[in-house]
Amino acid sequence: MLKLQSVREFKAFQVKRAEKEERLTTVILSSGTCGQAGGSLNIAEAFKKELKNRRLAKKIRLRITGCHGFCEQEPLLVIEPENIFYCRIKPKDVPEIVSGTLKQNKIIDRLLYSDPASKKKVAYERDIPFYKAQDRAVLGQNKLVDPCDINDYIAIGGYSALIKALTSMQPEEVIEEIKKSGLRGRGGGGFPTGMKWEFCRRAEGRPKYVVCNADEGDPGAYMDRSVLEGNPHAIIEGMLIGAYAIGAEHGYIYVRNEYPLAVEHSKIAIQQAEELGLIGENILGTDFSFDIKIARGGGAFICGESSALMASLAGLVGEPRPKDIHTTERGFMDLPTNLNNVETWANVPAIINNGASWFASKGTAASKGTKIFALTGKIRNTGLVEVPMGITLREIIYNIGGGGSNGKKIKAVQTGGPSGGCLPERLFHLPVDFEALTEAGSMVGSGGMVVMDEATCMVDVAKYFLKFLIDESCGKCVPCRIGLSRMLEIINDITEGKGTEEKLALLEDTAQTVALASLCALGKTAPNPVLSTIKYFRPEYEAHIEKKKCPAGVCRQLIHYSIDKTKCKSCGACFRACPHNAILVKAKIYNIIDENCQKCGICKEACKFQAVAVS
Amino acid sequence: MQEYVTLTIDGAKVRAPHETSVLDAALNYNICIPHLCHLQGITPLGACRLCIVEVVKDGKSKVTASCTLEVEEGMVIRAHTEKIIRARKNIAEMLVAEAPNSRAMQDIAVRCGVKKVRYPFRNENCVLCGRCVRVCSEIWQSKSLGFVGRGNHRHVALPFDKRPESCKRCNYCIDICPMTITPCPGPIKKGNEALCALCESQLSMAHNIVDSCVDCRLGEGFNCARKVSVNTI
Repeated sequence: MLKLQSVREFKAFQVKRAEKEERLTTVILSSGTCGQAGGSLNIAEAFKKELKNRRLAKKIRLRITGCHGFCEQEPLLVIEPENIFYCRIKPKDVPEIVSGTLKQNKIIDRLLYSDPASKKKVAYERDIPFYKAQDRAVLGQNKLVDPCDINDYIAIGGYSALIKALTSMQPEEVIEEIKKSGLRGRGGGGFPTGMKWEFCRRAEGRPKYVVCNADEGDPGAYMDRSVLEGNPHAIIEGMLIGAYAIGAEHGYIYVRNEYPLAVEHSKIAIQQAEELGLIGENILGTDFSFDIKIARGGGAFICGESSALMASLAGLVGEPRPKDIHTTERGFMDLPTNLNNVETWANVPAIINNGASWFASKGTAASKGTKIFALTGKIRNTGLVEVPMGITLREIIYNIGGGGSNGKKIKAVQTGGPSGGCLPERLFHLPVDFEALTEAGSMVGSGGMVVMDEATCMVDVAKYFLKFLIDESCGKCVPCRIGLSRMLEIINDITEGKGTEEKLALLEDTAQTVALASLCALGKTAPNPVLSTIKYFRPEYEAHIEKKKCPAGVCRQLIHYSIDKTKCKSCGACFRACPHNAILVKAKIYNIIDENCQKCGICKEACKFQAVAVS
Repeated sequence: MQEYVTLTIDGAKVRAPHETSVLDAALNYNICIPHLCHLQGITPLGACRLCIVEVVKDGKSKVTASCTLEVEEGMVIRAHTEKIIRARKNIAEMLVAEAPNSRAMQDIAVRCGVKKVRYPFRNENCVLCGRCVRVCSEIWQSKSLGFVGRGNHRHVALPFDKRPESCKRCNYCIDICPMTITPCPGPIKKGNEALCALCESQLSMAHNIVDSCVDCRLGEGFNCARKVSVNTI
């Protein structure tokens, strides 16, 4: 590839790419990590073979892109310009798609998405309710670009925000624009990005660094992975603009090694941008120089915390330090460092291109723009959703998410990952913005949303997140290390029926101390799952403590299996399924032997007549 | 010439040289802020969190450890608000439940007002204050000790569990370890752990005059930074 020497050369190159793009019919195959797990690579192979056999390879383009967000229906593809949407496809469907849809414009009915609400088949992507209710400013680009080809990104106007900043804006003007847009950190803190940049620009010390935080570790959250996998150039462009505004010379993308595809794609993207002269010395003939390297995380959740991340980047043990002095003043190598999340960086080019007022027109008074959420748990449409800030939880869960899976009633939603809180159904009218959720005892966090239904025990949920955080705590400070393990001790007692009122009070006391006194944000927010479940689901805790019962039938020590004789048809399915010999048959009457029963629930699943009861 | 700044700690106007920590500034003025992992002259770690204080800024207060907080002109510190005292008491309770077999922990628990330990005792000795690690690497430049493992598995160990040549057996790590002095009634066996609280009489003075440091004997178990500074001056 030829290195571009000036802004004019870049513009000519861009026009050429855009022209080339227009004409072809394109098959867009979603192939992020989730798509690949669904078998998209085999489908891609089948397509390549089929197109070659039919000599269509020059007329039809197969674009293998990152994740489109609708994970429930993977593997899926979209045929443009018609916008036809096929889901849950298999390699054997490929010949039919090529001969039917691509050659004769016939829509194949059985591959279409059927809307569970109206039971109707939907042919076009734009009509699918899951997509309709969203505003996909960042995620929407994923299907337009092949992440391994910089030409795609340039063809849709990529890097023009960088050109705009470099040629027509002073660094201070860029910062002012970001400040006016009201963009806030998407990684969880919600700190105004423009202000952070300004602090870092003013800080003394050279060289300065900008870092992209892609060490996403919340259970059930994968927004950053999808953006980095699907559109790495948007992040690189954002970082270039940020570096120009701050006056930084070097950049790092700190990405966790458990995301091999994201590492791979960002590597390719950096290499291609370097070859084109968009990263390096004197970018496009200007006097702005900047380089980006990739640093791979070693698998510690705590390294997503800014000071721990920078310690890890410098080759030290990834432990947080007290942040009375901000990392914008003393960060990586004790030099001014600006750290932003993947999603924050990905929002920057659009703000520079479309102006601050465009971005600020979405969202609420204090939280602007759109935010990506990872919708998981007991919900029908799991996937990535991008919505304007200020939309209510109910809209996300019911309109986009389609409500509970298996028609069960939704009880709560856990927002903000392991350090967020559980919000009950009656608070689903809350708008999703930084302040409203924090006030309710949860947080927006990085954007994980785990939906829970009636079959979820809230004490068990708190226990799960507590266990996760104990594993991931660095162990440096006393409240987090000892406090959390004491909290788990008490919760374990409660789920085993050994809880008392005093222990519950002690649990609350400890939780408050941990929240107040811990060193870093992990410790300070770690008690949120416990405090919010106690606040909103106290009756469940009390049932465990006073009645020694688990209302959701989850906590093994507190539940009891029995067979309802009126419903039992004596089919013997449970008897054959039980691995513990805990079912006794006497004269065609089935009974559970309590001593042998391990409460695994296999008999309940095996029974077709709902005769196995849990109490 | 050394630059001085003026700050307010619990209502008292305090002058301290630039770049000192709030904790040191307070101890020099006989204002007692309980602490454990802090030792004067070595890098603060901020691990025990006993020395937490409230910093009031623009009408908002932020809780942070005073050992890692540098003094600033016009800073307002509240070291003994109800919120802080409650959290500190809880932390002291956790510490004494973890290591009842140390006079330092027992004294700190008494000083922070622990009357009853609600957690089951663990009697595990090391509370990972990191004093040994830091004196070894900073005072003696030996780096023979370090933290190993993460979270619950974190512990202090020699490199690869072998005494390195850099270790000169100076025993300084043992001298400053808060676990080396047993409680006054003697070592406590497993199963008999309790709060000894013999030092409570020491407290009468400190209790009557809020947050005054009377150079009490409570700090003897762990080289209270106040004692160190008095001795060196």
